[in-house]
Amino acid sequence: MRISDCMKRNIFSIQKSNTLGEAVRIFAERHIGTLPVVDEKGALVGLLQLRDLLTLVMPDFVKFIEDFDFVMDFGAAENRQPSPELLAQKVEIHMKPPESVEATSGLLRASALLHKHDLHDLPVVDADGKLVGIASRVDVGTAFLKGWTISQGGGA
Amino acid sequence: MIAGVVALLIFGATLYVIFTEKVNRTIAAVTGAALMLVSGLLLGFYTEEQAIDTIDIETIGLLLGMMILVALLEPTGFFQYLAVQAARISKGRPVRLLVLLGSVTTVLSMFLDNVTTVVLIAPVTILISEILGMNPAPLLMAEALLADTGGIATLIGDPPNVLIASAAGLSFNDFLIYALPIVAVAWLTALFLLRHLFRRELAVSPENADAVLHLNPAEALDDWPTARRVLIVLGIAILLFFFERALGISPAFIAVTAASAALAWVRPDIRKILEKIEWSVLAFFVALFVLVGGLEHAGVLGQLAGLVAHVSSANPVMLGVGLLWLVAGLSAVVDNIPITIALIPVIQSLEGSGINVGPLWWALAFGAGLGGNGTIIGSTANVVVASLSERTRSPITSALWSKRGLPVMLATLIVTTILYVFAFPYFTR
Repeated sequence: MRISDCMKRNIFSIQKSNTLGEAVRIFAERHIGTLPVVDEKGALVGLLQLRDLLTLVMPDFVKFIEDFDFVMDFGAAENRQPSPELLAQKVEIHMKPPESVEATSGLLRASALLHKHDLHDLPVVDADGKLVGIASRVDVGTAFLKGWTISQGGGA
Repeated sequence: MIAGVVALLIFGATLYVIFTEKVNRTIAAVTGAALMLVSGLLLGFYTEEQAIDTIDIETIGLLLGMMILVALLEPTGFFQYLAVQAARISKGRPVRLLVLLGSVTTVLSMFLDNVTTVVLIAPVTILISEILGMNPAPLLMAEALLADTGGIATLIGDPPNVLIASAAGLSFNDFLIYALPIVAVAWLTALFLLRHLFRRELAVSPENADAVLHLNPAEALDDWPTARRVLIVLGIAILLFFFERALGISPAFIAVTAASAALAWVRPDIRKILEKIEWSVLAFFVALFVLVGGLEHAGVLGQLAGLVAHVSSANPVMLGVGLLWLVAGLSAVVDNIPITIALIPVIQSLEGSGINVGPLWWALAFGAGLGGNGTIIGSTANVVVASLSERTRSPITSALWSKRGLPVMLATLIVTTILYVFAFPYFTR
């Protein structure tokens, strides 16, 4: 199976000159984890990830303490808001490099790239670098499962 | 003559490189030590056997033993547990939190390495501050300043003390008798001054004070069985420190034996524990011993003794106070370990010229310990809290340290000087 067979074709994207606030609205409304950043021609130029946005309001101590399961109530740290200045910043400042996979690639190559770049979603591009779809870890993983042969009783 | 000049040049150049921090201090010291030995062999003033003899195995053994015990205790979450308990007892009131976290850090640093203590307590301090919605800087600075001050009170609290004790033949109890009372007053001075200097930051009453009561100490202590074993061994070791003279054993012997006992009882992955040992610190000490030994064998220190023969006619109290402030001033801007190692032979040579050096050893200990409070780079504990805070939203800057840390250094120095002068007759054993 090819990555183009399991990817989502209904994609939301943003331009790098847009603000972080506008990106936040798309993430929340569309319920997505990764927002590809494209230029005027639709070519992929960067990735904005949900977790990068969350890091902006995360408490500082998460950088120093790995296990904080002893905290039952995070108090003041729970309701932290990003500043208006932060939300007015350009998407360009916060986006990550435009990792992607070619539409003709197989599933294992997609898995390898998801793993190497530690991504939840992998943009799919055509030969010209134009964004044509996006595949999540779940999309790729379940596509693998669909290829398995399972008999009626549930065993192989 | 040539030997003396060469040895002095190598020593001076090494100190210069260490103090300018252009090269890592351990690499600089090891290179300097190698150069010293090579020129010693070529010019015939320093042999390999002599170099090995200069390495004070007492200091290295004590540091290594204590480092192993801390390395065993660290992953158990015990330090986190203590900070969480302090936060709960404070009920989220900033002043109480400052006093409690400062006290916990001080008590720990009296028996363990200051840097390790601060490295382990500071992250939890940032967590507690963020839960309360307050600025962590006052708490972090208090921890570093109080830990460095408290560390002067015991033989094992601070590396300069270990060096001084070994060179001067001072026992664990000597520190409790001569240093602890003075340090206790200096510590309280520091605490009250910090409370005053940070009065504005500490006046806020956190909205979410209750949240700290929901910190779960039992969850914070990940591995109680291991912590219990290491604490029992550590407790016995500290008890033995009190009786080292009566039993005729050295602190290094106690520390290394305790470390072996703890290793045998806990049976950890030894590679992981050895990775946590600060080998660079130990190598730094060894290299400095070899360097200063070179100076000694080249006859430089003998010359120096002749020079300071003039000083011996000076008022002994003034000499002590002068040394205290000189060492403090130097320690504020540079590492206090090389200063201590360099000054030890000088004091020893003064002893040779008939001066009662008892008070000078204490002046060296107080100056080296308190001087570090003046600037961020004055002590490693300060560097640790400052660099942690740089990664938070409220960084501790040099300007802030000048306004809050420097007054603490000056106040504790003044208090210590007054007490030092009054206690002077007791120091001349």
